[in-house]
Amino acid sequence: MSTTSAPAAPTRPQPRPRVSPVKQTLRLTRTEITLFARYKTAWIYALLPLFFLFTAMQLPPDPVVGGFGLGEMTMFGMIGVISLIFGVGHASNVFTARRESLVLKRLRVSGVPPLAIFGGVIGVVFVFSLLLTVFIAGLILAMPEGALPRDPVMLFTSVLLGSIVFSLLGLAVTPLVRNAEMAQMASMVPMMILLFSSGGIMPLEFLPETARTVVGLLPSMPAGELVQAAYTGYDVFGGFAGAEEVGTLGLWTAALPSLAVLGGWIAVLGLVVARCFRWDPRQG
Amino acid sequence: MTTTNPVPDTQDPRATALEPAVSVRDLHQKYGDFEAVKGVSFEIRPGELFGLLGTNGAGKTTTIETLEGFRRPSSGTVRVFGQDPYGNPAGVRERVNAVLQGSGLMEDLTVQETVALARDMASTPRTAGETLELVGLTEKTRTHVRQLSGGQKRRLDLGLALLTRPEVIYLDEPTTGMDAEGRIDTWRIIQRLKDEGTAILLTTHYLEEAERLADRLAIMHRGRVGVEGSLQDVLSGWGDRVGFTLAADVPTSDLPRLDGAELEVENGGGQLRATYTVRGGHVDERAHHAVSALLAWAEEHGTLLRNLQVRGASLEDVFLQVADGAADLISD
Repeated sequence: MSTTSAPAAPTRPQPRPRVSPVKQTLRLTRTEITLFARYKTAWIYALLPLFFLFTAMQLPPDPVVGGFGLGEMTMFGMIGVISLIFGVGHASNVFTARRESLVLKRLRVSGVPPLAIFGGVIGVVFVFSLLLTVFIAGLILAMPEGALPRDPVMLFTSVLLGSIVFSLLGLAVTPLVRNAEMAQMASMVPMMILLFSSGGIMPLEFLPETARTVVGLLPSMPAGELVQAAYTGYDVFGGFAGAEEVGTLGLWTAALPSLAVLGGWIAVLGLVVARCFRWDPRQG
Repeated sequence: MTTTNPVPDTQDPRATALEPAVSVRDLHQKYGDFEAVKGVSFEIRPGELFGLLGTNGAGKTTTIETLEGFRRPSSGTVRVFGQDPYGNPAGVRERVNAVLQGSGLMEDLTVQETVALARDMASTPRTAGETLELVGLTEKTRTHVRQLSGGQKRRLDLGLALLTRPEVIYLDEPTTGMDAEGRIDTWRIIQRLKDEGTAILLTTHYLEEAERLADRLAIMHRGRVGVEGSLQDVLSGWGDRVGFTLAADVPTSDLPRLDGAELEVENGGGQLRATYTVRGGHVDERAHHAVSALLAWAEEHGTLLRNLQVRGASLEDVFLQVADGAADLISD
């Protein structure tokens, strides 16, 4: 408002109540879910983890951590990167398409803050990742030696943090590409690197210690390890060999470095998205 | 009441009493080495419609995008309600809305879902029924956006922009793609917004639209404002043309000088044609005085003003003059 006092006019407006960004985020998430369900290609992202799950079942069943075999550990790792497929794949694709078709700009000019718009896509990635996680958890439970996660909160945390990290990564891809097709191609590169470094497609046990440490700084391995720990109740953060069963507190303490890595990525990618995201199709 | 030429008196107390809702001072915008906007200034007060006209690439959309908060000025200042609009901050974003040059609708939603989403995002929205009735889409509530015609999408764009009851609205070619009926409906809606006190920035390729709606306007060309002012100012600056064919026996040196008019004589097809461009005097009366003086002169010299033509300026004349020719009008 201007500080100069102008004569009161009949048209002078009342101050408007602020709409809560949380409410806006949740409302946008609802629309994102509707759009996701109507957008057929999005369902391919749901099939991919199931396919990888099937391949993981082919791994040798000999127990490596507690009573769990390599195949099961890989399956758990896969759960950790469901949000990678949704986040990097779906978010980069639809946000590029929406930028080009002025949908994002339309939302912005109508007063929706960026945080709510980003929150909406993180929301849909989280909801569908969680649904798929619950579905896969059901499958695992239905297996001959079925199991429930020992620490469901840690499982939930992994899905939540993964959804944030990987959606932000998908959003960070969009300024680099001109259209949705290019976004799909460009997002394949980080998606593949992160999938293979997650422990959800192939076990990372064969990697030398230093390589494993470096890979552990990428966001996908910590996400996968959190699920593996959540399911087994074992401290698997230093690798499967010699992993020991620990209590809830011990498990969370052991998980701290992985949580920190995910937190760090959220901070870095959040900053990248905040600074570099483009709302406008025009270059420049 | 809508008239065909709603030019307000510049002394209109409403126009002078209110602080400008939008003010742009010496705006420059550069993309690398290319300067898209080179020193544009204007203000828009509540209840006022400012028309921004110009050729493609004149810098209109860049100017609007700066106001919308998508671009930081390279230099100069831009204020909306006294605030820097960059990033569309709280305090600005609840009070402003826009119709973009393209649609920006989610094609997989129905009209109803689109409006419901926009309502839930807004602070003090109109009802869905009111919004759809305003833009004539009541029959289309269950239709998917992708099944709407281009004109219907444009109506929905306008509806979404009005839904938040904005006090400032940017309309970037809002009637492009509409049929004649849609355009007239839209003009009626825009006129109503003005009457309600909305500050409006309008860009358009239809000069008739600007002539009907704009209280003040600017014609931009290659990043600069060529002409600016009320419609009357802009037209009066261009002048009225009084032209006639000179009888063969009258030497051009006999042609009279008229106060506030410029004489030009052209040779066309073996005949001399005199054209007086009258800029001085009252806009409504100056052509009359010029013609009357010329008739008196003709009477005195026993000659006739053959093929006499009197032509007032149209916005198109001014536009083409600013844009140096029609070539730039063709879309890229």
